[in-house]
Amino acid sequence: MSESTQKTGPCFIPSPEFLARKKRLDDAMNLRKPDRVPVAPLIVHYYPTRIRGISNREAMYHTEKMIEAWKEVTIRHNWDVAVPLGSLRPARPLEILGMKQFKWPGGGLPDDQPFQWVEGEYVKQDEYDELLADPEGFAVKKLWPRISTTLGPISGLAQMPAPPLLYLSNAYTLPALLGEMVSSPPMVELLRKALELAEAHSKEKMLIIQYIQDMMNLGFPLPFAAVTFPSFDWISDALRGMRGTMLDMYQVPDKLLALIEMFTPLTIGGCVMMAEQTQNKGVFIPMHRGAGGFMSDKQFAKFYWPCFKSLLLGLINAGLTPIPLFEGDYTPRLEYLTELPPGRVVGHFDHVDRKKAKKLLGDVMCFWGNVPASLMCSGAPQQVKDDVKELIDIFGDNGGLIIDSTMGIPDESRLENVQALTDAVHEYGVY
Amino acid sequence: MGDKLIHLIADLKENEALAMVNEKIDEGADPVSLLDDTRRAMEIVGKRFESGDYFLPDLIMAGAIIEEISKIVKPHLLKRRTETKKGKVIIGTVAGDIHDIGKDIVVFMLDVNGYDVVDLGIDVPIDTFVSKLKEVKPQVVGLSGFLTLAFDSMKNTVEAIEKAGLRQGLKVMIGGGQIDEEVQRYVNADAYGKDAVAAVNLCRQWIG
Repeated sequence: MSESTQKTGPCFIPSPEFLARKKRLDDAMNLRKPDRVPVAPLIVHYYPTRIRGISNREAMYHTEKMIEAWKEVTIRHNWDVAVPLGSLRPARPLEILGMKQFKWPGGGLPDDQPFQWVEGEYVKQDEYDELLADPEGFAVKKLWPRISTTLGPISGLAQMPAPPLLYLSNAYTLPALLGEMVSSPPMVELLRKALELAEAHSKEKMLIIQYIQDMMNLGFPLPFAAVTFPSFDWISDALRGMRGTMLDMYQVPDKLLALIEMFTPLTIGGCVMMAEQTQNKGVFIPMHRGAGGFMSDKQFAKFYWPCFKSLLLGLINAGLTPIPLFEGDYTPRLEYLTELPPGRVVGHFDHVDRKKAKKLLGDVMCFWGNVPASLMCSGAPQQVKDDVKELIDIFGDNGGLIIDSTMGIPDESRLENVQALTDAVHEYGVY
Repeated sequence: MGDKLIHLIADLKENEALAMVNEKIDEGADPVSLLDDTRRAMEIVGKRFESGDYFLPDLIMAGAIIEEISKIVKPHLLKRRTETKKGKVIIGTVAGDIHDIGKDIVVFMLDVNGYDVVDLGIDVPIDTFVSKLKEVKPQVVGLSGFLTLAFDSMKNTVEAIEKAGLRQGLKVMIGGGQIDEEVQRYVNADAYGKDAVAAVNLCRQWIG
């Protein structure tokens, strides 16, 4: 997931500004009253580069330009967090791997379009048994070649008659057979690409570490370092496609449930590792298929809620703070969320009945969001401010509120409307 | 017998429904009447979606059952069915946006409610909308979009429709994740729909 390795070094001495912002955010997240309502974007894609006149393609291919724009925009709007990492991937690693699950500007899309997911049935319905029996082997031999053109040759290799790997265990067999495996032209090309990936990854990683250090020194904390998905979405978004998983709910429900169950520990474990490396407890969880309209309540209760709840509780038990982004309309699911331990989850909402959310979840989770994207892109600053005021009037009484738009800052936001978010918390949000 | 098949399909009992279709074909049943049963079952599915009993997985399952039935029945079909449709609607996801979930549900719901729907697909260039409007002459055009960039694509599409002199008498409806009244005003559409049921209701109101 996010490759950010937040090593701030022994010499980081947090400034009063850093501590003030961190406390403001922590207080709101823990349902305590901070000094004022924080304003913090959970997702930022192309807004910072667009207002600088940098194309979406340039942003994804020149991380240093993108990071400069992130810094500038964080400072300009005086946010309470630095632009978070993870939601916008640099293009080079995607390109080197030939990832098929994304299209991006310069990778199948024109320069000024945003990256978009490409769903497909990368795992077929009749492959459940194989995947469940040998997930590691399936991932490497079948899935990787399907989701990455560069890793395609692996599938050829996997089909070759090969001895058990333990056979490659002496000074005759290992050099001879491994040499044979890696010397075919497609494998040589793959290895060359792997080197390119290593270089691109190291370069991006250094830039990201530098960014985190710079932002912390400038007084801006990051809200999260790890990203994960509930297993239903992981399977639906990345492996079986929406159509695939929804047919599975009817045609092979037990197999789908078995895969969901198998995936759940993975969705937790990666985050725990990332949190340990980065000393950042926030975990961002974008969520897709559980929203109202996508499935019935009965289907949600059977296929989605158990894995999502396990994920949240697993992260909480590991001392982390899950930050689910409830994409779509979550009003029909609010009752479920009341089962969660109070003050341990921060809910970022897209569309929701605000008053109902306050009534049901006011004592359960901090509300993060949700000024409509339409206002950010085509409204007037006063409309944005009025909406922030409404949010403060509804949620502000116990401090559990962070201001953002519905899905982070929309790419096409008007600068004055983004500034209006900040101005509004200073005008109306001082406790 | 027809009723039983209709209920099996509408209740999404895939295996039983397909077995019955196969059985009927073997018995020499009229393939056209089997397709009629399927269509009537889909009307029930549409109604259940409208009333909130069915959701996306159920529509997708229903779609898969129709596909399977068509595969069985079509080779036996001698004459093409002609249906009278209530009116024409053109739909597409606007330029720059490749999302299709919402659009596909609207297409399904309009189709089962008796409208002749022309689905232009995703990332539809403005010119395609204009030329298809000239060709098909629908009463309604539906613009779909999930990304915020769709706001401008929709606005530009509506402007181009106007420029081509096709706006008069045409109703424009928009829909998608972040679409609301504010966007409707910005785009200069006639209405926005929160979901597929809203789209059907708009067409009922505009076309009948």
